[in-house]
Amino acid sequence: MKEINIDVAVIGSGIAGLEASLDVADAGYKVALIEKSPSIGGRMISLSKVFPTLDCASCITTPKMAAVSHHPFINMMTYTEVREIKKNDDGFDLYAIKKPRYINEGECISCKKCEEVCPVYIEDDFEHELSPKKAISIPFTNAVPQLPVLDMNKCIRCGACARICPKDCIDYLQKAEEIHIKAHSVIISTGYDITPMNAKKEYNAISIPNVISPLQMERLLAPHGPYGKVIRPSDGKIPESIAYVQCAGSRDKSIGVPYCSRVCCMYAIKQAMLLSGSLPLADITIYYMDIRAFGKGYEEFYSEARAMGINFVKAKVARITADEKGSPVLRIEHQEEASKPKEIKHDLVVLSQGMIPAVRDFLGLDLEINEYGFVSSRDKTLNPSQTNIDGVFVCGVARGPKDIPDTIADAGSAAVSAVNYIKSIKGKSL
Amino acid sequence: MSDNNLNEAQKRVGVYVCHCGGNISDVVDIKKIVDEISKYHSVVVARDYVFMCSSNGQSLIEDDIKNMGINRIVVAACMPSLHELTFRNAIQRAGLNPYLYEHINIREQVSWVHKDNPQGATSKAILLIKAGVEKVLMQDPLNAIRVNAEHRVLIIGGGISGMRAAVSSADNGIEVVIVEKEKKLGGKLNRDGYVYPSDEKAVDIVNKFSKKILSNPLIKVYTESEIINIGGYVGNFDIKIKKTDGDIDNIKAGSIIVATGFDHYMPYDGEYGYKKSDYVLRLKEFIELLSKSDGLEFVFKGKKINSIGFIHCVGSRQNEGIDAPQADGKVNEYCSRVCCTSGIYTMNKLKEKFPDVNVYDVYADIRTYGMESESLYEIASKHDVIFFRRPLDERPQITFEGDKIKITTTDILSFNERLEMEVDMLVLLTGMKPSEIDDISGYLKLSKSTNRFLQEVHPKLRPVEMNINGVFAAGTSLSPMDITESLQSAQTAAMKSAILLSNPDIPLDPFVAVVDEERCTGCGRCVEECLYSGAVTITEKTIDGNIKKVAYVNPAMCKGCGACVAVCSERAIDLNGSRLSQFEAMIDAIVKE
Repeated sequence: MKEINIDVAVIGSGIAGLEASLDVADAGYKVALIEKSPSIGGRMISLSKVFPTLDCASCITTPKMAAVSHHPFINMMTYTEVREIKKNDDGFDLYAIKKPRYINEGECISCKKCEEVCPVYIEDDFEHELSPKKAISIPFTNAVPQLPVLDMNKCIRCGACARICPKDCIDYLQKAEEIHIKAHSVIISTGYDITPMNAKKEYNAISIPNVISPLQMERLLAPHGPYGKVIRPSDGKIPESIAYVQCAGSRDKSIGVPYCSRVCCMYAIKQAMLLSGSLPLADITIYYMDIRAFGKGYEEFYSEARAMGINFVKAKVARITADEKGSPVLRIEHQEEASKPKEIKHDLVVLSQGMIPAVRDFLGLDLEINEYGFVSSRDKTLNPSQTNIDGVFVCGVARGPKDIPDTIADAGSAAVSAVNYIKSIKGKSL
Repeated sequence: MSDNNLNEAQKRVGVYVCHCGGNISDVVDIKKIVDEISKYHSVVVARDYVFMCSSNGQSLIEDDIKNMGINRIVVAACMPSLHELTFRNAIQRAGLNPYLYEHINIREQVSWVHKDNPQGATSKAILLIKAGVEKVLMQDPLNAIRVNAEHRVLIIGGGISGMRAAVSSADNGIEVVIVEKEKKLGGKLNRDGYVYPSDEKAVDIVNKFSKKILSNPLIKVYTESEIINIGGYVGNFDIKIKKTDGDIDNIKAGSIIVATGFDHYMPYDGEYGYKKSDYVLRLKEFIELLSKSDGLEFVFKGKKINSIGFIHCVGSRQNEGIDAPQADGKVNEYCSRVCCTSGIYTMNKLKEKFPDVNVYDVYADIRTYGMESESLYEIASKHDVIFFRRPLDERPQITFEGDKIKITTTDILSFNERLEMEVDMLVLLTGMKPSEIDDISGYLKLSKSTNRFLQEVHPKLRPVEMNINGVFAAGTSLSPMDITESLQSAQTAAMKSAILLSNPDIPLDPFVAVVDEERCTGCGRCVEECLYSGAVTITEKTIDGNIKKVAYVNPAMCKGCGACVAVCSERAIDLNGSRLSQFEAMIDAIVKE
């Protein structure tokens, strides 16, 4: 078994993990950044632009990804899954599996010839199933590292990729590799999933194709997205009226997410602004309970959206059905007018889904989590990054819903905690 | 590096044009740029890529340096403040002097501002890139200036953020000096009552930190003290501290964390009836009153309080034309982030103590964001707090009738009905405003945001760093935050400061003024013009046996602003990296066409 000795193991390489790794490494400590996906970058790299500055998400994320990949103190371990974490007297033992990409990584020159010749199309998870990709492909344009992954479950073993590869590096028989990582400290930055599309049965989101997730809308809006423009999935029509259903996955006990996810108001407003840029003639409506524009510059952003003509309607959407053309019909009750429930048709509807923790099982580590699965702080008013276990720190959405600025501010907090923890234990051993 | 001696023919320029996803390529014709620029003199290669800042994009540049002998780089992309450093690092990795590089902004200065004229935008981009080629051809290799750093951090403000930053810095082995103007540490937490989200007594949090701070030999605390001057530069700040007894201490610090916090918004006389009645209180005053009130009935100044109204967004989320402007003529458009939750938390405390008091809450949006806070809102509803939602552009009217306070408001939740309610007491949920720190921000020349809080370099890339190298900000000096968020921000500031001080010397950009001592007449106009006191001085020097007065630039203090260059009639002072001759060549390239 391969053995790696480092100071801090950072689990999850979204923006929180990238930031925390860079801080720890810049402070002079060795990091293993462990990522289960084939590329680092997490959720943020798949977003279009980010509020409230409307920077393109890639412009912020790609340089950080590049910095991580070049940092002499960061061991970037992608496509690697932690299977077990044990605390011992010296620190932590992490047992991980590096999954096979079925290529010789040392030899691959990222020429993409394998991808070009592969005859098998599969769903592209990076594009949230909006478009296909090849069974052997580099995960996405900006992926780090630029290594293709072969989906062995979909591969038809035709051998085309192996024949074309100029470096002869396709290896159909590659095995997973076991890795033992010894670390003094662990930072949990495992991030979030969004609440399932079918969480709220009344919204029929699975059966109505023109009801989409906000992450799908991010891809539609991204300049290098699946279609290069915003069209609705069922018939490729350019939508003339788009609606956002707020709190479709938060502040709702019926789906087990009573908390507010903190980001949905702002991403809906941001997407609405981007949509009114790319589809100037479209009507955009946001159905909401409360607009929670609480961060720096957010209220101003909300005012700007109202000035741009985006409709904000205070109403809870009770039900979504579809008409014969597949257009979603929302049943709502306006709270600002004395009126009966209404049915309103839109061409495209985005469900503003909330955040739930991506990981709830910490594999042998007796980590305290709250009733919703987020990692708890030992003492919120002393050091929010400190978990119940000495040497284990948490940052980003793994600790609770957060937007990007809050996540970045949180990552440094976990990093300094880990660095100071190592200083304290090393000081004792001297 | 022997690059200084290259003749023109040996200078090989590579030009790299970024699409920025579509931010640039949706407007400008990238192919046309690349075609035209590749024909320009001295340009050996011109390439484009979807994201030049990505690993792939950076590799293009590195490979060309290594394989094609490219020794001058022009990147045409976003604004340099975003990624100049990214590309400099890539160039350095490839073994080239990182300053043989010019960054041309064709996003903010081209594609974003000329969306309506793609052809014109493309021509402009081409001209700017040609000018960049001319500039980089005249660029000499430079070396970073290195300055020794004091292994000590100055923390301004001893509230929760300052205390957290102090403990984190000291745990990192860095000496800390905290300067606090009040008698003791703790800032706004030195008050009665409890706080969310931990439901602790505010002072208990102060005590947790005070213990750690006062027992730590690395931390020196100045209370009832005032900073009366800050000079110097990153690694070597000189700070004058005026102590209680009037004595002045001089200390040196390598970095500074500004944790000056917030002030409570103070309503003007008559704003929602404030100061017109003893029974109109700010939230802070109400919390203190509540923590002192016991017994079966809630009595204040002889009156039994049966009902209380709460008004949200006092001093926050203001609209021009509706709310009275602040001292600077602007309204507070921002949300203060904590008032909804702390208000509702306090209503729950009230209801636990005096369940019979009726509570009416007038709001625009309830912003109990996050996990614990939403449950506080739910608990308030269970306590029968009655919520009234006003339209965004309307304010509740307050009038006094006998010993009653009358609130008149439109309520969206009852279909825009006009409601009147009489209460015995009114509580204003006042927001946050930045502390008065014009002195500190003046000494350090810190930028402020439009909302008057400190302005970070970039909210996502560098959220706790100030525009001045070596100065960081934490907590509510940046924007409204709750306790946990302040702690995060303070620890991140401590991390960035610790990284800066982790090396014995700090590299600085070499873009500083340089003096041509032969031309210099020692007239001193540059000294008069210099904004950074001490950066340029007149000294006597022996040149060719004669004693001569000449200007001397302290490279660590010079910020490279160029003010001295503009006033020098002898062209004796120039700026490394932006020489006058380089600008002339750029202008020539632009006007030639």
